[in-house]
Amino acid sequence: MAAEGCVLSDHDADDELARLTQPLPDAEETVRAIYHGAVDAVVVQGPRGPQIVTLKGSEEPYRILVDRMTEGALTVGQDGTILFANRRLAQMTGHPAEDSAGRNLGDFLAEPFADLMRHWLEFPPDRAVRHEVMMCRADGSQFPALLWVGAIVLDQLPALLITATDLTAQKQSEQIAAAERFVRSILEQASDAIIVCDRSGRITHASWAAQELVGRTPIGLRFVEALPLSGMETGAERAVTPVLDAGAIVHHLLAGQSMRNIEVRALWSWRADGFFLLNGGPLLDSHNLTIGCIVTLTDITERRRAEEKQTILVAELNHRVKNILAIVRAVAAQTLVRSLSLSAFKEAFDGRLKALSLAHDILTSIRWGRVELDTLVDQSLAPYRAPGSAPRIVSEGPKVLLPTRAVVPLSMVLHELATNAAKYGALSVDCGSLEVRWGVVERNNGRWVELRWIERNGPPAATNIREGFGTKLIRRSVSYDLDGQADLLFAADGLKGTLAFPILEDPATSSAIATARRGASAGAE
Amino acid sequence: MTTTENTGAPDYNLRLYVAGQTPKSVAAIANLKKLCERHLAGRYNVQVIDLMKDPALAQRDQIIAIPTLIRQLPEPMKRVIGDLSNSDRVLVGLDIEPVAAPGIDT
Repeated sequence: MAAEGCVLSDHDADDELARLTQPLPDAEETVRAIYHGAVDAVVVQGPRGPQIVTLKGSEEPYRILVDRMTEGALTVGQDGTILFANRRLAQMTGHPAEDSAGRNLGDFLAEPFADLMRHWLEFPPDRAVRHEVMMCRADGSQFPALLWVGAIVLDQLPALLITATDLTAQKQSEQIAAAERFVRSILEQASDAIIVCDRSGRITHASWAAQELVGRTPIGLRFVEALPLSGMETGAERAVTPVLDAGAIVHHLLAGQSMRNIEVRALWSWRADGFFLLNGGPLLDSHNLTIGCIVTLTDITERRRAEEKQTILVAELNHRVKNILAIVRAVAAQTLVRSLSLSAFKEAFDGRLKALSLAHDILTSIRWGRVELDTLVDQSLAPYRAPGSAPRIVSEGPKVLLPTRAVVPLSMVLHELATNAAKYGALSVDCGSLEVRWGVVERNNGRWVELRWIERNGPPAATNIREGFGTKLIRRSVSYDLDGQADLLFAADGLKGTLAFPILEDPATSSAIATARRGASAGAE
Repeated sequence: MTTTENTGAPDYNLRLYVAGQTPKSVAAIANLKKLCERHLAGRYNVQVIDLMKDPALAQRDQIIAIPTLIRQLPEPMKRVIGDLSNSDRVLVGLDIEPVAAPGIDT
């Protein structure tokens, strides 16, 4: 420099020296940094200018391994700053990998777990620890994750090495499994039949009661095959008009419609008399899309039978009360007309009411079923049998079951005949006797009862009988109520009569009464 | 990438040279953010230059090793080479007065 003729002051010389020596500390700094591994790339001069050469050391394979691993991985400095985050963590959180470095780990953790992170940073765990946390995504949503946290030393400074496993799928699986267990426990405990179908109408779940109903496991069967049924019209009529079949019901439910309290009738053979209350609705997924349907069937067979029985009984009772009142009214009117005195009326009317009452007692005792003729005759003649003395009343005949509707009129007829015998006929004198014999004969293509009433050794009939209401009641009752005929012969030693009537039973009456009897039996049980 | 953390002209104008996503580059970015937030809050501007994208930019500040941090302002220019994990060295190298940690009586 002096050769150039310049004269430098001491100050200028110092500046020049500083300028010339400046690269030296930079070079020393560079060497130091490379020596300590603080740099991992250098700039070299190539034929086309500067080029970047990365210093891929022996750790490079491990760095790639960490960056590509399927779990999130990150290193965190002592103050919580993320020093490195791999690709998987970026995918999990939605934060780009290059943006993750430099952020605070607290940004990735839901609030209560940020405190936990601070604790780990302050007191680095001696051994690696695992902890379930809720992590935050860039969009603000959260997801469950399992953190593995271990203490390491980076560049002589304490740090944390953390791996994060996204537990979203696992939690969903656990929730599904828990929901499945919950559903199973309901299905096992429910007393109603519960059936779950998929979108094709095939059964995927069924309660224990449903399996009992089908008779085997219905899983895998189509609903219409496993449980063929038809919906019924509801309302006052309770008609048997089917409005829906099983296929239509499933179709409605899968279309998103609910069904409430639909009465259905079982169409499968072993429960053909079964009635059920059907409730159902679509099975929706988390997006409110129909993925199947749920049907519950409550067995209401007994309830429905009871309702039917009650309806029939009320109608029957109404009918009988009206009939009885009509009979009482007619008996009262006719007895009044034919009675010579009030006491005579009282006696006659009282006796006839007792006969009526007796008939009802018998009917009630056998629950309005069929009554044996033998029983009715015995009961009607019982007041006239003298205990202890030689029997002078003989009643005999084969076992004949009377139709229910024949009991009241026949009881009235027997009462009239017996009363007449006691007052004016064979039973009014000590030497008189009475035979009541009956049999069953074929007449008019049907079975008829022929009952013969034969009085012997009684007073002359010409003086002991009045063609009064009693005789009229006998003839009319046999003729109109029993659809038969009565032949009465007033002989010298007593009345000889033949009552003939069919024992065919009216089907409607038979059915109604049979139902009533079943109901009474069920109630007694 | 440029980060400005003040409302007026920054006291410290810093330039960080990195080489893509190499570990040291990533660490240097993180460490620098942390350090600036703590000691230069509101007084700095950081420009991150990725030499992988444009290696020619290395000539401007005569960059040899990456990562390198250059203090442009205040003058004189200073440089710190490495991943900046040793914050004490960085503070000395950049001639920054450390800010005491909250709650510590200095």
